[in-house]
Amino acid sequence: MELLNLSSQVALILKLAGGLAAGFYIIFAFVIVRQVNKMTETLEVGLESVLRAVAILHLLFSIGALIAVLVIL
Amino acid sequence: MPDVFKSTPDRRPKVTQHKHIPNKEELAAYGHTRNRLAAYCYYPDHVNFVGADSEEKIVLLLRRHAITNIPWIFVSILLLFTPIVAFMFGFLESAPVNFSTVGLIFWYLISFAYIFEQFLSWFFNVYIVTDERVFDVDFLNLVYREITDANIDQIQDVTVRVGSVIRTVFDYGDIIIQTAAQIPQIEFEAVPHPDRVAQVLRELRVEEETEKLEGRVR
Repeated sequence: MELLNLSSQVALILKLAGGLAAGFYIIFAFVIVRQVNKMTETLEVGLESVLRAVAILHLLFSIGALIAVLVIL
Repeated sequence: MPDVFKSTPDRRPKVTQHKHIPNKEELAAYGHTRNRLAAYCYYPDHVNFVGADSEEKIVLLLRRHAITNIPWIFVSILLLFTPIVAFMFGFLESAPVNFSTVGLIFWYLISFAYIFEQFLSWFFNVYIVTDERVFDVDFLNLVYREITDANIDQIQDVTVRVGSVIRTVFDYGDIIIQTAAQIPQIEFEAVPHPDRVAQVLRELRVEEETEKLEGRVR
C-alpha cells in the first residue's frame, strides 16, 4: 500500500516537473517567435512568411507538448 | 621559346561602375542569383534592411559559406537519429511507455529548436555592401542584435585572408576592412569569393573618389 502511494507520488512529481518544463519551453518558443519577427524586420530577403510560420508552428507544437504531458503522464 | 604557363583570360565583362544597375551579362558574371539561401549574391533581388536609404543600392549580400554549417548539420542528424537507435537497441524498453512518449516529444522539440536557431543564425548574420556603405548585421543570441556600418569612402584598407586547405578548395575566406570610422575594423568572416568581394570594394572606393572629385557626392 505504501509502495503504491510512493509510486503515485513519484508519478505526480514527475508530471508536475514535466508540466513545468513544458511551461518554460513555451516561453522559449515564444521568444523564438519574437526573435524571428525582429530578424525579419531587420533584414527582408523574401523568406519572412515561411520563417514566421515555422516559428508559430513550433510554438503551437510546444503548447501541444504541454497538453501531452498533462494527458499522457 | 615555348610558353611555360598560359593563364586563362578572364572573359567576364569588366564592371568597374558598380553604382549603375548592371546588365544581365554583368550580373551573371559577378554572381547574381535568385536563390534566397545563397551565401554570395551580386545585386540581390528584393532585399531590404533597416537603416537603408531609399536611394541606396545593395551591391553585395554575403553570408558565411554554406560549408561552415556542416558541424551543426552533423549534430542535428545525430540528434534526430539518437531516439531511433535507442529504440533499436532496446535502451528505452525499461521505461514506461507514457514517459518515453513524452520524452520523445520533448527530444524532437528541442532538436528542432536547435536546428532552427542554427539556421536563423546563419541566415540572418549577413554582410551587406551597398553603393555607399558596408554593413555587418549580427544577431549574437536570442535578444542581442548589433549592426555596424561604415561609409565606403572611410575604408582605408581591405585585407583578404584565406588560410586553410578547405578554404582554398571551396574559395571562401575572411575580409578585414580597416576604416576611419568609430569602429576601426569590420570583418566579413568565411564569405565566398573573397577576392571578388575585395575587388568590388576596391572599385566602389574608386567610384566614390571619382564622385567626390566631380562634386556628385550624395
